[in-house]
Amino acid sequence: MTNMNEAAPSFAATAQTGKPDNSQFPTKMTVRDLNFHYGDFHALKNIAMDIPEKKVTAIIGPSGCGKSTLLRIFNRIYAIYPKLVATGEIVLDGENILDAKYSLNRLRSKVGMVFQKPVPFPMTIFENVAYGIRHHEKLSRADMESRVEQALRSAALWDEVKDKLKQSALGLSGGQQQRLCIARGIALKPEVLLLDEPTSALDPIATSRIEQLVEELKNDYTIVIVTHNMQQAARCSDLTAFMYMGELVEFDRTEKIFTKPNKKQTEDYITGRFG
Amino acid sequence: MHASISLPVSPARQAEAARNARDARNDRVFGWVLKACALLVLASLIGAAASTLWGGSDAFRTFGWGFLTSDAWDPGNDRFGALVPVMGTVVTALIALLIAVPISFGIALFLTEIAPSWLRGPVSSAIELLAGIPSIIYGMWGLFIFAPFVAEHIKPWLMNTFSDAPPDGQISWLVQHVPWIAKFFSSDYPFFGAGVLTAGMVLAIMIIPFISSVMREVFQTVPTRLKESAYALGSSTWEVVWDIVLPYTRSAVIGGVFLGLGRALGETMAVAFVLGNTFKFTPSILETGSSIASTIANQFGEAEGLQKSALMALAFLLFVVTFIVLLIARLMLRQLGNREGR
Repeated sequence: MTNMNEAAPSFAATAQTGKPDNSQFPTKMTVRDLNFHYGDFHALKNIAMDIPEKKVTAIIGPSGCGKSTLLRIFNRIYAIYPKLVATGEIVLDGENILDAKYSLNRLRSKVGMVFQKPVPFPMTIFENVAYGIRHHEKLSRADMESRVEQALRSAALWDEVKDKLKQSALGLSGGQQQRLCIARGIALKPEVLLLDEPTSALDPIATSRIEQLVEELKNDYTIVIVTHNMQQAARCSDLTAFMYMGELVEFDRTEKIFTKPNKKQTEDYITGRFG
Repeated sequence: MHASISLPVSPARQAEAARNARDARNDRVFGWVLKACALLVLASLIGAAASTLWGGSDAFRTFGWGFLTSDAWDPGNDRFGALVPVMGTVVTALIALLIAVPISFGIALFLTEIAPSWLRGPVSSAIELLAGIPSIIYGMWGLFIFAPFVAEHIKPWLMNTFSDAPPDGQISWLVQHVPWIAKFFSSDYPFFGAGVLTAGMVLAIMIIPFISSVMREVFQTVPTRLKESAYALGSSTWEVVWDIVLPYTRSAVIGGVFLGLGRALGETMAVAFVLGNTFKFTPSILETGSSIASTIANQFGEAEGLQKSALMALAFLLFVVTFIVLLIARLMLRQLGNREGR
């Protein structure tokens, strides 16, 4: 695990520029003029951010600031509820995913999501991972087996479950279940992985395993993680966005946010003066 | 506790001990009362089964196993067999399930997954009202309104399509190629609406409220995050329902279906009105027939001697049929559980 003190020297050269210095990373997802309403409530206000490719972007902020809402727009999961509207643009690989013509099925194969609490499906461990793949690809039995193994390996779960793939996933521990959910997500070979407070329901040991995993996964995936835990953001993200009352207050490299934030609000939140 | 033997006992201690003893006694009595309540259920079940078996023993002794396989029901000559009523009971209940389960499923899903919130309340209350209608009213409605409708619109179409003596005189392509199908759709009285199918349809309407309200309640218990995770993997609404909602609620759904089946098996008045009460054995669902409950209701008043015993024996068989149905439900659940690796 990297903690922020160890990570700091490698960024030292660019740390003092003042402006959000994200341009050094190629952008995976561009958010522009994003607004979101729950009925009359204006939940997200003119959000604009560039999410870099194969980096970990953390979104922090007090409860109700809109961080989970923002994450839930990246794969349009909000669209399963009527009357919720997002306006603006989110460009992923040159296409606006908010466009009604953008296929939800394709979007969800490109953008995977892991939820707050581990939610294994009421099926066997194998089926939990294979389930999503079946929606997008037709694989032979052997291909499916190797694909499932590969996903479980990437989620650092294979060694623990390889002898009980045919058992119900509900018998796993909370941490194992959450890694299973990650395996389920990456089995689709997405490009972006959204993690919505993935460790909030886990004990410290399971949490550190997930964080370790995030560290490994960023070699292959663009990761956006919403977290309540500032230490977690500091430990495992490259960039951090601070949100407050539906607005993106500050978005910069993580060690900049945690050492020299530009905005007073950010500093107050980081230092625990509110939130 | 050991120490208290040697210590002088204070009045406060004494009161405390008395209170302890009283509490323990009260709890013991409370436990007995609860146990008695539970045993009462068991006792009445066993009592009812045993007394019908006792009452029917005359018929069982007279006809032996032949009582189960004989289609005779001839009070004049004292010859009785249970085949027609048992089959009528099972077939009408199965037809009712076949119709009611998919419709209830649709109602429950619509209410939990798709309906806008302003529509949920009214439709749910309508279902509850439907469950509250007494069965005699269903019977009357079935006889006076629904059976003529069946005779006029549904039966002619079914006979034209599936029977070998169609009212329009043209034997359909299906019947020409699959002749055995005609057996199930023949009728000597094409313009008579009462019959097995009609009874099954009325029963279906009666059990839909039960099945759909159980399904609706259990579908509501599926955690949102479980459904969202499936949507996040690219599932459509149908896939979420079929792969996630149904397996998650499986045992309760099957419970609801068997609750409906139990109701359909035992339903008396509505069936007595629309089934026709004849004892001719036929596989056709367009013919009239009898069910156990309707036979008992129709004949108990004037039954004597062996006929009374035969009716008792029928009542016992209804116990057996219901028990078998419950057993099948249990086995089914266990089978499904094994498949999921529980």
